[in-house]
Amino acid sequence: MSEFRITLRPALGSVTSIVSENIALTPLPEGHVVHVLGKPGDEALAKRLGSLSDGSAHAVRAAGPGQWFIVGNAAKSHADMTALFEALKPDAYGVDQSQGRVRMLASGPMVERMLAKGTAVDLSLTQFPLGHSTTSVIGHIAAHLTRVADDAFEIMVLRGFAESLWDDLAHMSAEFA
Amino acid sequence: MASLIPCPHCGKRPKEEFTVKGAVLDRPAADATPNAWMDYVYLRDNPRGRYDEYWHHTSGCRRWLVITRDTATHEIEASRDAALARE
Repeated sequence: MSEFRITLRPALGSVTSIVSENIALTPLPEGHVVHVLGKPGDEALAKRLGSLSDGSAHAVRAAGPGQWFIVGNAAKSHADMTALFEALKPDAYGVDQSQGRVRMLASGPMVERMLAKGTAVDLSLTQFPLGHSTTSVIGHIAAHLTRVADDAFEIMVLRGFAESLWDDLAHMSAEFA
Repeated sequence: MASLIPCPHCGKRPKEEFTVKGAVLDRPAADATPNAWMDYVYLRDNPRGRYDEYWHHTSGCRRWLVITRDTATHEIEASRDAALARE
């Protein structure tokens, strides 16, 4: 038996949220993140995924051809996760990324200008409408972006990069905060 | 430099998101001569002008693409998904 007990601590447990009129940045609960791997162009699967999510808005996010993320704020038990994987078969496979990827929310009227400092994606509402999501780099860190409101983006990143990306975003937000 | 690469899935993205693999060549048959394999693995033409290259959208959709690029002007003529185009 190991001398140390492994305890799960939130990746962004020690950061301070940014709250201001123009920009806000806050970590989201580490609930569940399921990476769904299907076939490119499988419209039927894309439609079916909504019913497998927890039903919250923008719970299913596109992540390249034939791939999606199903996310939610509540943690899933092993049984729930297994049931979800079974429900996905045979069209797609699910991979539990709940402890692998961390989500944060950036919002406020200046959010596009803040993110534009780090990524080349066109974030204007016409090119990046509500519910649209994509993977890109912010600085040198690959991150998955989803527009969840007219002036709010969810940013999902690999756990090990979360703190580093947070520091970058905080730095990018500084002039607006 | 051709800094914005048109990805068929993600739209225009900076080249920093991609990894370049090199020329698009037809793979020889498994029982081809050692010379044919030597050519395929090591020898490249380095043409001036139009050129088909494999690009991987590493920090984006993670798909392999075939980009038709002009090596002199860096203009990009076409881009397509390497696997989906084959079907």
